[in-house]
Amino acid sequence: MLNRKVTLKILLFLIFTDILETFAQYCFKKTVIPQSDFIIQNFSDVFLFIKSVSLSPYLWVAFLSVFAVFVLWSTILSKIDLSVAVPIASFSYILVPLVSIFFLHEEVTFLDWTGITFILLGVIFVSMSSHKDEAPAK
Amino acid sequence: MKTNIFFVVFLIALTGIFDTINQLLLKTSINAIETDINSLKKVASFIMKLLSNTRVWLGFFFCCLSLVVWLLALSKADLNFAFSADSMHYIFIAIASRFILKEKVGFWRWIGTISIVIGIILITYSNSG
Repeated sequence: MLNRKVTLKILLFLIFTDILETFAQYCFKKTVIPQSDFIIQNFSDVFLFIKSVSLSPYLWVAFLSVFAVFVLWSTILSKIDLSVAVPIASFSYILVPLVSIFFLHEEVTFLDWTGITFILLGVIFVSMSSHKDEAPAK
Repeated sequence: MKTNIFFVVFLIALTGIFDTINQLLLKTSINAIETDINSLKKVASFIMKLLSNTRVWLGFFFCCLSLVVWLLALSKADLNFAFSADSMHYIFIAIASRFILKEKVGFWRWIGTISIVIGIILITYSNSG
């Protein structure tokens, strides 16, 4: 049975998931900022890299957020269709660049936003097609 | 020192491929397990079946690999670029669904996938200067 009805409660849950997802990515970036000059020359360097990032508290906060996103997302998907949930969840493709500008002082150009728009539209098309095209095949 | 943008794209592609392998392993192992869950006892047995499945653990291994490569990529690139470029996994998933899982990938899904490719080319070009 298809369920396309998005209640206000589900919408708030979805937006909260977007914010958490963005927060997780922010923490991942914060984890590796001290490692920006790290160069990997051989296999043992990978373990050195893992060791140094695992000491960052940001990494563990990120893990916690990812786990929370997983639980929230699973709950949301038991209530509404993937094809409805994904376009709303794609909001993070806009949130992440905004956070990058304001909290990480990165530069996002007009061409970047154009690319992001294409990606956003692509993700929406991919998810919207999940029932129209594939359900009858089963 | 500015790292070559194509090396970063390569790392992000690697994350996407590892993640796709993880998804394929999980999907094929879950397809083989009975997922009719309607009681707590069935949930417990479902989890036990998952944990005793080698494919699930192999998937977990690829998930960890994907994370390490993702952190490596992030250490070399801006977050806004890396996050947008990470949408590349939609392309790998579409190809894998079509050719490995033999699922039907519809017209709009291909249009969406092409739109994602265009978007990634634009942001890569924009960040390559």
